[in-house]
Amino acid sequence: MIAKILISFGLVFVAIGTLGILRFQDIYSRLQASGVSDNAGLGLVLLGLIAYQGMELQDVALAFLLFLLLLTNPIVTHSIAKSAFTQRHTGAKEEG
Amino acid sequence: MHLVEAVLLLSIVAVLYRLFGGPTSWDRLLAYNSASNRVVVLLAIVAIVSKQQIYLDVAIVYAALSFLGVVILARFMERGEGHR
Repeated sequence: MIAKILISFGLVFVAIGTLGILRFQDIYSRLQASGVSDNAGLGLVLLGLIAYQGMELQDVALAFLLFLLLLTNPIVTHSIAKSAFTQRHTGAKEEG
Repeated sequence: MHLVEAVLLLSIVAVLYRLFGGPTSWDRLLAYNSASNRVVVLLAIVAIVSKQQIYLDVAIVYAALSFLGVVILARFMERGEGHR
C-alpha cells in the first residue's frame, strides 16, 4: 500500500518534469524542471521499490542506487548550467 | 507494475524528442541525462519484477558511467569546443 502510494506520487512528478522539459522555453528553465522532478520523482519511485517487498538483501543495492542518484543529479545540473552560462557570457563578449 | 513501466517508457520517448531536436547542445545533454536517469530506474523496476538481482548491479554501473560522461561533456563544452 505504501509502496503503491510512493510510486504513484513519483510517477506524477516524473510526468510533470517531462512536460516541463518538453514545453519550457529556456535552457535554465528546462534545467530547473529536470533537476527538481528527477530528484523528487525518481527518488520517490526508488523509495517505493524499497518498500515493495519487505526487508531483503536487494534493498541495500536499491538504497545505494538512490544515494547515487541523489548525489550525482545536482552535480550534473550545476555542471550543465555553469557550462551554458560561461559559454554564453564569453560568447557575448567576443561578439561585442 | 506494467503501468509504471509504460509511464516511464513514454517519458523516455518524450525526453528523446528533446534529445534529437534540442535547439542547443546543452538541451541535448540535459535530455540525455534525464533519459539515462529514467533508464536506471526502469532497470531497477525490471530487477524487482523479474527477481534477478544482477540488473541492480547493471543499473548502478550505468548510473556511474552516465554521470561521468555527462560531467566530462559539460566541462568540455564550457571551453567553447564541440558545440554549435
